[in-house]
Amino acid sequence: MVYGVNDMAYVVPPRDARTQSAGVVAGYAQTASRWPAQPAARRPHGISELTGPRAFSRLKTTSADLAGQGARRALGQLIDVRVSIVDEDGAPVSGALVEIWHCNAAGKYLHPNDANDAPADPNFYGAARLAADERGRIELRTIKPAAYPVPDTDGWWRPPHIHFSVWGRVWLSRLVTQMFFPGEPLNEHDHILNAVPDPAARAGCIARFVPQAGSALVYEHQLVVRGRNASPGLP
Amino acid sequence: MSRLVPTAEMTLGPFFPREFAVGASDLAAGANDPATGAQGEVIEITGRVVQADGRPLEHLVVEIWQADAQGRFDNPAFHGWGRAATDAAGIYVFRTIKPGACEGRAPHINFLLLYSGLMRQLQTVMYFDDASDPVLDAVKAGRKRLIATREGERRYRFDIRLRGDGETPFFDDG
Repeated sequence: MVYGVNDMAYVVPPRDARTQSAGVVAGYAQTASRWPAQPAARRPHGISELTGPRAFSRLKTTSADLAGQGARRALGQLIDVRVSIVDEDGAPVSGALVEIWHCNAAGKYLHPNDANDAPADPNFYGAARLAADERGRIELRTIKPAAYPVPDTDGWWRPPHIHFSVWGRVWLSRLVTQMFFPGEPLNEHDHILNAVPDPAARAGCIARFVPQAGSALVYEHQLVVRGRNASPGLP
Repeated sequence: MSRLVPTAEMTLGPFFPREFAVGASDLAAGANDPATGAQGEVIEITGRVVQADGRPLEHLVVEIWQADAQGRFDNPAFHGWGRAATDAAGIYVFRTIKPGACEGRAPHINFLLLYSGLMRQLQTVMYFDDASDPVLDAVKAGRKRLIATREGERRYRFDIRLRGDGETPFFDDG
């Protein structure tokens, strides 16, 4: 087992700020209490930032079937979500650890913070931890999450979405994000998705529907974690 | 070669499964076992995380990455990654091995914060002593806030203020 990657040929280049969320977001009050007011310091990257956890003996993986965690199948539209985890070169991150969580088909999380009066589904828990295969892929079977209203606001509804927490090759590759569904009218109005200024970057957060026969609707999605191989001689 | 755009980060939200944050805060488990354990000084690192108005933040996720006592990041007997969540008083606790210096860096621990209302991860670094260090030297204001306070023999305190007076310096990796 590899516990750390010491690959100093790997680099994490700066991102285009338009492809990332603003820190303080209009309509999302908590962000103004929590995002730092002072400018962040730019730091050099060395072994400490360009190595990272690659084996997680303290984190156990679970079943990839969130629709089948209960005694009976969870309520809702059955979906398969095929996710590939790649770095900025498009190289698959084999073995990447991925955490996933989402609400049920009524818009309810089984979580003490969720005060919505939508019903819980006794057969749906809604969380998984998976390791990607050697091609950097995971396939999740679950039910499509519903929209739900954000508490303490007037009229903001979250579109259906799935949360992802991903470890890439190095410490600076850590990615926590959300995946959205195509064609959802709420996508245009979500304060979180639309905090990303660049339209193409927003589109990259929306899964692709793959029409095909089978027992579940199929969606494909790509998660790009930070980092690439240094390529001396190339611009 | 064309370069892919890294996926936009988004907030952890208020519904991160609490059990995901449990059971990964003791990096020193099995340490100093003569046969298999990592060697080094076992320490506790704790601190309070607060927002702009000083209110402590509960269930905030703190992740760390550090070298072993010899400054190595690839020691199979020591996995330098950990995760903890803050309690109702905003307090996190890690048990770990005190890291050594490595490649021009003073002993340090990388911190990453995830929380509802944080649109992107926040990155900062904890030091044990004020020393010459290329990352610490990149901090323009508030350098002292990255130096942990020693509380007793094997215990260090590293408080984090996300915003406001006494704000913790954070790092921008682009």
